Amino acid sequence: MKTSAVIKNVKITSFAAIACLFSVFCMLMFQSCNKSGVAEEGQPKATTLIVSFVNQVDSMPLLLDTLIYKNASSDYYLVSDLQYFISDIRLHRNDGLIYTSLNNNGIHYVDERIPSSRQWVINSSVPTGTFDSISFTFGISAEKNYSYRFPNPPERDMNWPDILGGGYHYLKMNLMWTKSGLSRTFPFDFHLGIGQIYRDNYIDPDSIESYVQNYFFVNLPASAFSIGEGQTRNMIVTMNVNRWFSGNNDFDFAKYPNMMMQNQVAIHNACLNGKNAFTVRFTSGGK
Amino acid sequence: MMNGQQDTGCRIRNDADKVRGIPHPASRILLAFLVMLSAACTKSSQQSTKVKPTPYVISIPKYFPTELNIPADNPMTVEGVELGRNLFYDGRVSGRSDPDSLMSCSTCHLQSHSFVCGIDNPRFPGGHPYGLSGMFTPHFMLPLINIAWVNNGYTWNGSLAHANPVKEKRLLEDMTWIVITDPHEMAGDTNRSKALIQSISGYPEMFNKAFGSSTVTVKNMGRAIAQFVRTLVSADSKFDRFMQGKAQLNEAERRGYNLFMTEMGGDCFHCHGGEANPLFTTNLFYNNGKDSVFTDPFDRAGFTGSSMDIGTYVAPTLRNVAFTAPYMHDGRFKTLDEVIDFYSSGVIWSPSISPLMHHVAAHGVQLTPSGKSDLKNFILTLTDSNFVKTAAFARPASLPGEK
Repeated sequence: MKTSAVIKNVKITSFAAIACLFSVFCMLMFQSCNKSGVAEEGQPKATTLIVSFVNQVDSMPLLLDTLIYKNASSDYYLVSDLQYFISDIRLHRNDGLIYTSLNNNGIHYVDERIPSSRQWVINSSVPTGTFDSISFTFGISAEKNYSYRFPNPPERDMNWPDILGGGYHYLKMNLMWTKSGLSRTFPFDFHLGIGQIYRDNYIDPDSIESYVQNYFFVNLPASAFSIGEGQTRNMIVTMNVNRWFSGNNDFDFAKYPNMMMQNQVAIHNACLNGKNAFTVRFTSGGK
Repeated sequence: MMNGQQDTGCRIRNDADKVRGIPHPASRILLAFLVMLSAACTKSSQQSTKVKPTPYVISIPKYFPTELNIPADNPMTVEGVELGRNLFYDGRVSGRSDPDSLMSCSTCHLQSHSFVCGIDNPRFPGGHPYGLSGMFTPHFMLPLINIAWVNNGYTWNGSLAHANPVKEKRLLEDMTWIVITDPHEMAGDTNRSKALIQSISGYPEMFNKAFGSSTVTVKNMGRAIAQFVRTLVSADSKFDRFMQGKAQLNEAERRGYNLFMTEMGGDCFHCHGGEANPLFTTNLFYNNGKDSVFTDPFDRAGFTGSSMDIGTYVAPTLRNVAFTAPYMHDGRFKTLDEVIDFYSSGVIWSPSISPLMHHVAAHGVQLTPSGKSDLKNFILTLTDSNFVKTAAFARPASLPGEK
């Protein structure tokens, strides 16, 4: 009797073990299916903000390597390379909430030669609501702009030498320009980043006394929009290249030094102009 | 006989069931189901484990890019690298066995010269290689250094790239068949090369270990050689040790470093990298102002068709330039001093000159004699003498079939 009971127990235990194993197996199978499937009910649907960067010259589209543009000083120019960083995009909601995007550590690289870089998809955590405006940092703020943070190209090739302040170019725009009456083009390297103050204005790395952060905030107040649960909104940030060369300080390429990295006055003047280089609009058709 | 076996089998299973205490028929069904599922899951992995090469991991030096250019279908393996090393040094890859007409990669790519042939090469006077047909190559050589990080195409004009419309001319792996058939190089044919390699005792076994098949194919030859070439990492120069805090630059080197890294100095860094890009090249393409008349059909424009790419070539790495003379795509400069003189006062304007050559109006960056000396002193800190002596990069003690 005792033996029989033991055998029965063994039978039951064995069957139960197999059944349990099977159940666990099935649960794992179902769980893995669920992960790739539709979100469970009750979960908030993700909101998505797609930021597109459009670079143009006044009302003309930017065509690289094409000598058709004219600045306020009547210089004709072509753009060979246009690369820049935008960071810390902030959405200002009408109840005072400020949402700061941390996608890619809040830093986005735009390269006119790399179409994919001209779009920044910010998803998953964008809050819903009505927003009064947006703002962002042109370049990279001081606490985030440190050398070696981008080991890989293309961002790597924006590095700004340590001896000149380190970190990365905020903007690298390589131009060739000419004027009526001139028979050839001339280079102009419109490069923005950390500036230097030189002792007795003697431009030598050993004479650097201090560095100047030149990144700036761009506020675009006329950019009210709303975003609802599960919606996708398309935000188009347009940069007008010509605005960098006029406004507070007109850039006559013939009179300006054709390199700016060690010329804090030139960088400062350019940044004053650049604050007016951006506009934003939203396209309809968000889901 | 068959039935008897089945019966015996059943009996054994039943005995086993009793021992395990699983007599319930439903249990058997469940168990069989699980076993079948398990078998299905492991079937594919068992098939792929027939040959299991050992992964080869490239150790990424400090400050180097973390992304390597290694095709997904040619992962680095110890066996692949070893095979590639043997093929790299084996003149029979050319498809010829006569000692007078052997040609391998290493015929021109000498380790002692950072894998260019060198200006003092007795076979290729002046450092300009030619192939078995006697035809000179269109360009001088680029060193094989840190190739695993090249991401914009190979060769001076970057045409061996994903943008190439010919899909067999896109990868480093494709270089092998190109070199075998190129009239400027081995001037051979791939069938003869693979047949000869197949016939050499030892190679079929090495191919099997590396790729799971003892049949020699040119594709696998290319894969193996590409794997070996990707192991040629140089990251042990004085400058590397300086960056790691293990060495100090002397005063002349430091001044040269400042010239290298500043726009109003030599402004070398925009194209050749620096502390934040220790490859010492962006691997991008520039017209650096050498000429105003252009006749080379193999410049960047020859690949892209863009007039802005006329006279444009990749910026080569400055690592180990002490070993890689002569310089430029056409080897026009025999010494580093000549190169520095050119950038100081020999730059010529043309419509496609890079905007980064912003000193062109003055024909260059106008360095003083001491500035030139300082800049050269810094550039020589990029010399990695261990790279040209590393045993793992050298010819194996013996190649397959050699006595």
